[in-house]
Amino acid sequence: MNGPLFGQTLAWQRLRWIIVSIAIFGWGILIPVVYAAFSDVIRDLANSGAFPEELLSFGSGSLFTLPGALTLGTQHPLVLAMLGIFAVGATSTAIAGERQRGTLEVLLSRPISRTTVYASITAGLLLVVACVLFTFLAGFVVGAAIQGVLNELPIEHMPMVLLNGCLLWGAFSTFGLAASVSFDRPGPAIGLTLAYLIVNYFFEILGSLWQEAEWTQEFSLFHHFQPAEILAGALDPIDLVILGAAFVLPIVYALVVFPRRDLAAPA
Amino acid sequence: METTDAIISTRGLTKHYGSVDALTDLSVDVRHGEIFGFLGPNGAGKSTMIRTLLGFLHATHGSASVLGMDVATESVEIRRLTGYLPGGIALYDSLTGEQVLDYLARLQGRTPYRRADLVERLRMPQADLRRRVRDYSRGMRQKIGVIQALQHDPELAILDEPTEGLDPLMQQAFYGILADLRAEGRTIFFSSHVLSEVERVCDRVGIIRQGRLMAVHEVRELLARRRRRVSIQWRGAAPDASTIPGLADVTVDGDRLFGTLHGEVSEFVRAVASPSLEDLTIEPASLEEAFLEYYAEEAPTPAVAGPSEAK
Repeated sequence: MNGPLFGQTLAWQRLRWIIVSIAIFGWGILIPVVYAAFSDVIRDLANSGAFPEELLSFGSGSLFTLPGALTLGTQHPLVLAMLGIFAVGATSTAIAGERQRGTLEVLLSRPISRTTVYASITAGLLLVVACVLFTFLAGFVVGAAIQGVLNELPIEHMPMVLLNGCLLWGAFSTFGLAASVSFDRPGPAIGLTLAYLIVNYFFEILGSLWQEAEWTQEFSLFHHFQPAEILAGALDPIDLVILGAAFVLPIVYALVVFPRRDLAAPA
Repeated sequence: METTDAIISTRGLTKHYGSVDALTDLSVDVRHGEIFGFLGPNGAGKSTMIRTLLGFLHATHGSASVLGMDVATESVEIRRLTGYLPGGIALYDSLTGEQVLDYLARLQGRTPYRRADLVERLRMPQADLRRRVRDYSRGMRQKIGVIQALQHDPELAILDEPTEGLDPLMQQAFYGILADLRAEGRTIFFSSHVLSEVERVCDRVGIIRQGRLMAVHEVRELLARRRRRVSIQWRGAAPDASTIPGLADVTVDGDRLFGTLHGEVSEFVRAVASPSLEDLTIEPASLEEAFLEYYAEEAPTPAVAGPSEAK
């Protein structure tokens, strides 16, 4: 890995990293607040039979329990948008964007192999994604403490939640980087990565709302990140294997493709 | 055929993009300590050649070495010892000029010994260096490009159209920098389509057309071979022009004779020297004429200059 390139990769993200961290920390605090305020109401609604339970949940999460609320929080479109800034936006433009601007040529004229360029940028962006996720979980713990419901949260399992979340969002990030090394312009790379994220998300939400389509959730990476299960000590190792494979395969692809690509002069 | 002092050496270098032949069987040696001009119009293959030397492109056939190292397997080490200025350089717009130079120097891993001197000679005051690149004019960007390529005192500088965007004063300063680098034993590979600057700064020139190397010549030799327009005036009748060596296309207008001179000037001058000679004008040969002659033909002829001639 190249230190200056790694450092500069972090520096490029600095401003949005700060803004998103503040926002996602606030979101993390808000979820236990909402849970404490509305969980009884929602439970009563479910018990009354006025609403099907599926409609009172979101994805694999719900407000019936604090761990369920955490799952809901991680699958909420707001979190998708905030983490997507880095896992989709920053990754898919990282190399294709340099390529389009013409700065990749200046970068690669330094004594750095393409493998090192890829590794340095990947490490930098994965670190940002991991930090943002950590900030969200930290906000959640702070919110639970403020609401006095920390006793409902098995803190000892939180590192595993972080690891599992890092694998999920890392998988989208490495996919974005694989797309980025494959195209000369960021547009197609962003489009492909965004489509990958949306399809996964669609399968997860569709399966949670429509019982006949529940099987689609198995094909969603989101379904393999279940904080509620992890906090209950019921982590399925297969989830880790699936997310691990989705994380590693794009890296292998990028390491094979990027060094072999011809980089003609920018248009 | 290997030469020990070749800093750049290509043998049969070929690059195809599908059915497009970007480079075809290109063999050339660039000697240590020379300024080698790579001359050709846009799209001739100059940038493709440079990008192949730096490992951005992979050759379809043939081989190339830079500083004695293979471009396919030792590209990183080659780039450690090389300074590169891309044509129409793109920089990081959100950084200041100084931050760009610092960042690229850190990536290079070598101390930017020459930066202070280059900054002074190219007249980039500190106030300008502290401005963001997005506010720079094209000329200022080009100056940063030149500085980043040379600041770490590379053994070999590969410069793709380096004077693009520089005003005439800065072009002069740049030529001075090149002369100093050559005097210090550095090698410069210089691509251009500006004939006058190649004529001015280069020791040798390679002419490329449609991906094929048409010729490699000493610039002096190329100029010496060029036809010159001459005008001679005698007192009294003009002598028999057929006795003057190298003179052709002769026309006589009163006591003045016009013609085209081929070959050595000294022989011609000896032949026309006489007490009745009143005026003699020899227009200097320009590289442009030499260049246009190569390009005047309909289709490219396979490499006039093979490796042996190219040395």
